Amino acid sequence: MSASTSDTTAGDRRVIQIGPFHPLLEEPVGFQLTVEGERVVDVDARMDYIHKGIERLAQERTYDMVPILLERICGICSVTHSVCFCNAAEDLLQLEVPPRANHIRTIIGELERIHSHLLWVGLAGHFIGYNTVFMWAWKYREPVCDVFEMLTGHRQNSALPMVGGVRRDIPEAYFDEALRVMDRVDEQVKMLTAAVLDDPVLAARLKGIGVLTAQEVVDWGVVGPTARASGVDTDVRRDDPYASYAELDWKVITTENGDVFDKAVVRLLELTESISIVRQCLQNMPKGEINQGQQHIPRGEGVGRYEAPRGEDIHYLRSNGTNMPERLKVRAPSYTNIASFKASCIGESISDVTITLAACDPCYSCTERTAVVKGVDGVETHTFQDLVRLSQHTTRALAREMGRRPDLDLG
Amino acid sequence: MESADLGKRLECEFADRIEWTARSAKRLYVSLAPDMLYPVFDWLREHVPGFRLGTSTGIDLREGVGVFHHFPINGKAQVVTLKVIAPKPDPRVPSLAAKIPAAAWIEREMAEMLGIEFEGHPDPRPLLKAEDFPDTYPLRRGFNVPEFKESIGERLDF
Repeated sequence: MSASTSDTTAGDRRVIQIGPFHPLLEEPVGFQLTVEGERVVDVDARMDYIHKGIERLAQERTYDMVPILLERICGICSVTHSVCFCNAAEDLLQLEVPPRANHIRTIIGELERIHSHLLWVGLAGHFIGYNTVFMWAWKYREPVCDVFEMLTGHRQNSALPMVGGVRRDIPEAYFDEALRVMDRVDEQVKMLTAAVLDDPVLAARLKGIGVLTAQEVVDWGVVGPTARASGVDTDVRRDDPYASYAELDWKVITTENGDVFDKAVVRLLELTESISIVRQCLQNMPKGEINQGQQHIPRGEGVGRYEAPRGEDIHYLRSNGTNMPERLKVRAPSYTNIASFKASCIGESISDVTITLAACDPCYSCTERTAVVKGVDGVETHTFQDLVRLSQHTTRALAREMGRRPDLDLG
Repeated sequence: MESADLGKRLECEFADRIEWTARSAKRLYVSLAPDMLYPVFDWLREHVPGFRLGTSTGIDLREGVGVFHHFPINGKAQVVTLKVIAPKPDPRVPSLAAKIPAAAWIEREMAEMLGIEFEGHPDPRPLLKAEDFPDTYPLRRGFNVPEFKESIGERLDF
């Protein structure tokens, strides 16, 4: 990928390429940061590396096949897109889903949120140089994926959701073990949360950077924990309830400052809520039907919404009465959250950019190959690791100044 | 504010200048002439707190190319869909990106997938298509996938 910005030659401006590949994350994306000295003055993103044409493919699949296809949109949010599509079809049909199916959808959705948030906590820890957090968070995540596999048969792609319910039941014989794992993860998450909240280096490092104001959140259409950290009280699970959320006891977490620290706090506190939701569903699982058989979808249109780990997922479905969608529009939460980098990154120092980019938990991958373009006469190549190292260095310097260990004190 | 209320308020404000295509408790679908997009959008943005652009759907219809803007409302169950249909072969609609940055990417995507021109878009570069992608629109009805593969044949054989 070549740097295409004309700014490469203007004054002392440099263009830093981040992307398109990095083994830490699952998808390619390219960012071009224009910097003046250490300040970021512009950011642009290229999203076109793995356009899969899923919307077009969905027009060539039957309604029963589409949820399976949509599980493949994202490596983490597999439940998200298939349930969101079902919400859209059920909105079109004005169809009620059996209570047991709703509970099953809630359980797999929240297990997905727990493992997704833990994955993010680990990555965020790595970006600022807290590698203990990285190791521990990913260690805690593993049993959650195991529970997902026990209940559905697969760590990620359950293939459970279908229009009008779920395809298969989940085995009650494993509920006790699942509840034991939830208890253990709950303790671990509380310990991790307390350690993060109490750590003075983290507070000094992450407070006040990458700030999104509430107005910017609305203007850029930012959703999910990224919006809730800026005091925008939005959560599809409460606002437009689907599955069993309306009958469960849980709360929406919001904070006020909109910086990276608050985004981390929102996610950590949401973990506790999600664990509680899974517990409530497992303990009060209703008996009965899990689906209503194949549905004929008549002409019409429907909008489905779903609160994914990263925010509101939205699907628009239009049917012409055949057995395949006439049009399916899919908008994942990162689509709007990544676009808001223009608001959150500009004005930041480049050592804060990796964590600011990571703070909305984007489904994107950074890169091994970062080029610092110096005017027209010389290209100096750095790796993305240099940016991560720069970010980690800032944390270590802060820790030294404050007389702290350069890692999270989990003792 | 419940859906019926917002629907009624829109009716009072715009009367016969807008057309309802469907209404349910949680979803409002409104058809607009292209020149009514800005007035209705401005009114909603001013009078409905938490009104934001969720996304937009581009769709190739018999009567033209449709651009459906979906607006969820923070803290509410409602989604308002504003539908604008532009006649083929050269569909042109006013750009929402000129008013709200959230529309910037999705309009770039619709432009390259369906060949819609968004008038007044501040940054109309392509977003998703490869640089050497032929000058066709994959989400238009005439787009034939086997023919397309054949036309670029050699480049796919690796």
